Amino acid sequence: MLFPFAVVLGALSLALAAWSLVGALRAARPSGGQLLLAAVLEVLVLVQAAVAVVYVVTGTRPVSTATFAGYLLTVVVLLPVGVFWGLADRSRWGNGVLAITAVTTAVLVLRLEQIWNG
Amino acid sequence: MADDGSTATGADADPRGRRPTLRSGPGRVLVAVYAVFALSAGARALVQVLTDFSAAPLAYLLSAFAAAVYVVATVALVRSSERSRRVALVSVGVELVGVVTVGLLSVEDPVAFPDATVWSGFGAGYGYVPLVLPVLGLWWLVSQRPRRVV
Repeated sequence: MLFPFAVVLGALSLALAAWSLVGALRAARPSGGQLLLAAVLEVLVLVQAAVAVVYVVTGTRPVSTATFAGYLLTVVVLLPVGVFWGLADRSRWGNGVLAITAVTTAVLVLRLEQIWNG
Repeated sequence: MADDGSTATGADADPRGRRPTLRSGPGRVLVAVYAVFALSAGARALVQVLTDFSAAPLAYLLSAFAAAVYVVATVALVRSSERSRRVALVSVGVELVGVVTVGLLSVEDPVAFPDATVWSGFGAGYGYVPLVLPVLGLWWLVSQRPRRVV
């Protein structure tokens, strides 16, 4: 995998998590800026997934390709589902959901990197 | 925030016992965390059971059991009826007993747990979230019990 890319993904996920946590503590609902960051994050996740698929198809594979594919699929779906679930609650708790979604995304990005490197 | 906890007073109770409060507010965050654990524990158990079940049958069966508990709790929270609240109470109670029991066993006898489950070491591999989650879940479910005015 592209290591610098994963670092950027992880950093942006944690930034979104911190932002959402602050929002939750301030009893604010999720802001447009957070949604924009989530959207940018999802685009980057999709790019990373595309790169990974190209690698796997051309023969560069992690040891456990099935596990890797499972994590990859999860990380692609996670943000849209989390944002959808969080926005349905227009209170501080929507921000709580966003924070958890973002932290989970960061963990999944880290796990993907670990699995790729064996 | 205005409707937090105040909707269970009977005046606006749904005749079919639907309780949308169970999955809103703090419940919404709980559903998110439970869904993440249902997914990760489920996927982990699936891989463990399918790839090398004979390596640690006890640990892998516990993994699958833990995954099932998380799935039941998630679905019960989302359904948000009074009956599902009780289902959630039971599954979250089982979860608490499970994480404490497996946590103790895995510390006492690591040989029986050569490969980790979600609950091994009190959920240390998952930032101890599995230990904190059932406590928060029980608090939320008990706080959402219907209050009869009579």
